[in-house]
Amino acid sequence: MTIAAGIGYALLALGPSLSLFISVISKKPFLVLTVLSSTLLWLVSLIMLSGLWRPFLPLKSSAWWPYSLLIFTSVLFQEALRILFWKVYKKLEDTLDAFADRVSKPRLYMTDKMQIALAGGLGHGVAHAVFFCLSLLTPAFGPGTFFVDRCSKIPFFLLSAIIALAFVTIHTFSMVIAFNGYAEGNKVDQIFVPLVHLVAGMVTLVNFASGGCIIGIPLLYFVAVLTLLHCGKMVWRRLTENRHRPVM
Amino acid sequence: MESSILESIGVEIIGVMSPVSICMFLVVLLVYALSPSNPSSSSSIRTAANLVYLESPTDSTSEKLEGALLNALVFVILIALVTFLLVLLYYYNFTNFLKNYMRFSAFFVLATMGGSIFLSIIQHFSIPIDSVTCFLLLFNFTLVGVLSMFAAGMPILLRQAYMVCLGIIVAAWFTKLPEWTTWVLLVALALYDLVAVLAPGGPLKLLVELASTRDEELPALVYEARPTVPRNANASSLGLLVAGVSDSGSVELQAVSRGNVSPGENENRASSDDSVVEVDSFAKEGGQSNGDEGQRLLPVDRALGRHSSSSDASEYSTVNVPSDRARQFGSVASEIVADEEEMSPLVQMSGSGNERDELRRDAAEMFSRGIKLGLGDFIFYSVLVGRAAMYDLMTVYACYLAIISGLGCTLILLSVCHRALPALPISIALGVIFYFLTRLLMEPFVVGAATNLLMF
Repeated sequence: MTIAAGIGYALLALGPSLSLFISVISKKPFLVLTVLSSTLLWLVSLIMLSGLWRPFLPLKSSAWWPYSLLIFTSVLFQEALRILFWKVYKKLEDTLDAFADRVSKPRLYMTDKMQIALAGGLGHGVAHAVFFCLSLLTPAFGPGTFFVDRCSKIPFFLLSAIIALAFVTIHTFSMVIAFNGYAEGNKVDQIFVPLVHLVAGMVTLVNFASGGCIIGIPLLYFVAVLTLLHCGKMVWRRLTENRHRPVM
Repeated sequence: MESSILESIGVEIIGVMSPVSICMFLVVLLVYALSPSNPSSSSSIRTAANLVYLESPTDSTSEKLEGALLNALVFVILIALVTFLLVLLYYYNFTNFLKNYMRFSAFFVLATMGGSIFLSIIQHFSIPIDSVTCFLLLFNFTLVGVLSMFAAGMPILLRQAYMVCLGIIVAAWFTKLPEWTTWVLLVALALYDLVAVLAPGGPLKLLVELASTRDEELPALVYEARPTVPRNANASSLGLLVAGVSDSGSVELQAVSRGNVSPGENENRASSDDSVVEVDSFAKEGGQSNGDEGQRLLPVDRALGRHSSSSDASEYSTVNVPSDRARQFGSVASEIVADEEEMSPLVQMSGSGNERDELRRDAAEMFSRGIKLGLGDFIFYSVLVGRAAMYDLMTVYACYLAIISGLGCTLILLSVCHRALPALPISIALGVIFYFLTRLLMEPFVVGAATNLLMF
């Protein structure tokens, strides 16, 4: 039960991203590099944030408002970073296109661009799951488990794996939405992404109430599914639009 | 629909990163699996790396620091001495002696250190196996290892696997060093690496130069990224990309942008018309090697073909036939790259220490030989990650990412300045910085948030 449970929690959080990685990313070395660099970027952002908040830690676990402040600043910071990531990517795209011209290969297809965005998002999501869920999972491999007071029916590891899965989904696909929004200059998408991130972060505050996880997690999954649907709709629209047009 | 360029960029970087990742991953697993079983014996080993000072948990911080510094100093001096000795031996053409010595030491490392690790694995998981079978298996494992490293005709995959194996075994031993000594040692080695490869008169620089003037393989244990088929396309792609960003006039940029002829041409140390020829020999190679490489070859081939038809034919007289190239190629695939000086248990650290760092690539050599990474790099990356694994998983991920990105930076630098570069300094510096940042800053933050089920 011990090792099986640990692996089960890990796969619950990271299984979908793992299959995404194997089926889409791992075949193209460039995408692997994108995943790695975006993971690194997320790690750096986390370290900077924790450096910022370090003097105030540990927060009292009774009051919830410092935590809301914490989440707010973190989301703000990371969304700023996303814009930076986009700028860097834009430059990279130009370089790649120029390079493709030089070796006389086709320029980046639209699906390529989306895959790069997906890889970037996957990097963010994986980094999230790894640092917030997987790194706390070590005791889960041993005998016994751990419960938190506020949600005493479900083991803590299972809870954090479930929450991490929702966040992996949100991070992964909101990057696709965001990149597309920036590329098209679509204001709705550009605002949608930070909003979803912020709402998802704030929803976890519900877990503060005793037994709040019963409500908080379904809400979180609602947000995640919303992101997924929005992303799917957008990609579908782009693809069908593209089909009517002659291939560039 | 032609395949997009996404598939051809970065193949070589991944080719180096994936074995390093595998090595680190396995070392971390090993550390996790074995550390609880022998907490007491972990501090008791005595190697060349802690000759002077044996750390004990009760010592004060300053004592530990002082002792660790001394240990590192002695170890680095030892390594430097052994490296100079090797350079000297190589200079006076004792190549056979070196080879045999390395054969012996590889045998020794695989058999004794590997054997003891296998033994502890068997004990820890209480695997039912009798001693005769175990001995037989170990003996076979070792022999195949020695043969695959130093004999011709072995599949390169096997050799790469054994390189990773050696790295894992030595790194797993190094993780048994006491904590302070490990950190100081890693930093000291990174600094030594920097000096030895870059400073004029540095032993590794001498070794690399000597080997390239004699046009021989480096007499050291190096991991060779597979000389895959479309190497030239990849090499130029990396170079071009970097050049495009940094706008430096690297060889590759000049070669391609001048004529915009073919990616193959940037190996123009050979006569100008072997670009097509090279492709021919590639095609042959591609046929032999496995399917996906063959596939990756195709676009390159096609692109080249189109070019050659559109540009003037005199450049592609196709004369100076594949034979030369192909022979070279064929031999590369099966050649003995690495002799080495992995050493007796005590010297072994020093030996492994001095293979580190051969990341070499000349514009011309590069594509026929691939990127090379010294085994020592594998070892010390893994030591860092293994040491991080003793604290927490979080530090492991942070260190892994830092090391891999450092390696990426080194590879990019490599494509800018075509010479052997030390692979340790950037990675180790980043790894150490990230370790302490994670441990001191990030952990309380993340644990505090996550245990309250707060995430963002």
